[in-house]
Amino acid sequence: MKPLTLITGLALSATLSGCSTFALPQPWEKGNLARPEMTFGGDALEQRYQQHIYTSKEAASGGSGIGGGGCGCN
Amino acid sequence: MAATDRTGALAYGNVVMAALALHGGLAPAPALAETAPEQGVIALRYLHYKDQQDVKVRYPNYSGTEGSSFKRITAKSPSVYVMAPIGSDWTIEASAVTDEVSGATPRNYSDVSGATPKPGMNDYRKAGDVRISRHFSRGGVSVGASHSEEHDYRSTAVSIEGRIATADNNTTLTVGLGHAEDTINPVNQVVVNEAKRTNELIVGVTQALTANDLVQLNVTYADGQGYFSDPYKNNDRRPERRKQAAGLVRWNHFVGALDATARAGYRYYQDSFGIAAHTVEAAWVQPVTRWLWVTPSARYYTQSSADFYYDPVMDSGYYPGPIVPQAFSTTDQRLSAFGAVTLGLKAEVRWADWTGDVKYERYEQRGNWRSFGKGSPNVDNFQADSVQVGVSRKF
Repeated sequence: MKPLTLITGLALSATLSGCSTFALPQPWEKGNLARPEMTFGGDALEQRYQQHIYTSKEAASGGSGIGGGGCGCN
Repeated sequence: MAATDRTGALAYGNVVMAALALHGGLAPAPALAETAPEQGVIALRYLHYKDQQDVKVRYPNYSGTEGSSFKRITAKSPSVYVMAPIGSDWTIEASAVTDEVSGATPRNYSDVSGATPKPGMNDYRKAGDVRISRHFSRGGVSVGASHSEEHDYRSTAVSIEGRIATADNNTTLTVGLGHAEDTINPVNQVVVNEAKRTNELIVGVTQALTANDLVQLNVTYADGQGYFSDPYKNNDRRPERRKQAAGLVRWNHFVGALDATARAGYRYYQDSFGIAAHTVEAAWVQPVTRWLWVTPSARYYTQSSADFYYDPVMDSGYYPGPIVPQAFSTTDQRLSAFGAVTLGLKAEVRWADWTGDVKYERYEQRGNWRSFGKGSPNVDNFQADSVQVGVSRKF
């Protein structure tokens, strides 16, 4: 089995098994969501480096944001 | 980007405000009100990056003197980031980075004989950006500009982003627009003053699913027109328009029993060059002591090749050209079909208003690690190592 098929299958089953149990958080239940490691933004400089490395070595880009400066990266 | 205190000091009863930044603020707290942060942040970071490739494929011009591996690019990049609240409704962010890049890359595939001759290239890139955000009770607007300059490449981009949350503040919708203008002046003067213009769109939803689960769905679309070819590679003629679309799903889950956070993401990408790509990534953020956090991470990426990429013709009568001339063509390894794996480990110390971290990542690309698409044979494996060191302080 190709690794991608396996990973996609695992991700899908994990997502679907959790679908029926959502309890939207109340305002006083957001302590864990406010932890720095729960953010999607994360460390701006670290993310910038990572994006820069991947866009200079791979064809795909995008998904997480827009507006970054381009580079020659040859 | 809006944020509360980086230590997680909570504004109970406040809104879910998206953690979606145009390019990521330094600690935007999700699921909380969008207000200006109480404190500013200054951060310094340094990246040391080095890549290399195997030399196993014997191209038709093989000289017999090539080593078993080839050192390609080394980059040293210091950067600085500052975020400061202005009153309770405004935030300004700015960052600057320099890249000192040296080394060589092949002109065809991974063919070392065709690489830039010694001493290779040396480039110095300077880039900076600034972003101003206005915060409202249930949303915000940010405007940003960035500029990047190398001796042969210049890029300027502007962007605007709006965020709005639902009344229960568990859902945030984000919409952003961007525009970039690039100018290319290669030192070999294959072309002079070529340009590229790109318009970008992002639409995203961030949802607090439970007290321990945050998910995000983003779609980005970019439409670029102009010069996309690589002036330093042979036989590189790419279409003058590239449309790129990506869909990204991210899921962060707090595991109370271990006080840890699991982070997972999947991205699908497709473009008008005929390339499709899948990216899967995951990280586990584990506190080890009251002040030390350790984060192992893994990423798998796979792409198909561009429609106009052609496999190396292993015959000196043709190489490095194609058998049949094509309107568009490339031998760029980055437009071939391959799979890539990244493994990383990060250690972070948080102490009062200070944080410091060290992160190591190992990256490898191989043609036979691809999950789909036609194979791109006769391209050597490629590896990269990077180390990042960062420190930040609130003020």
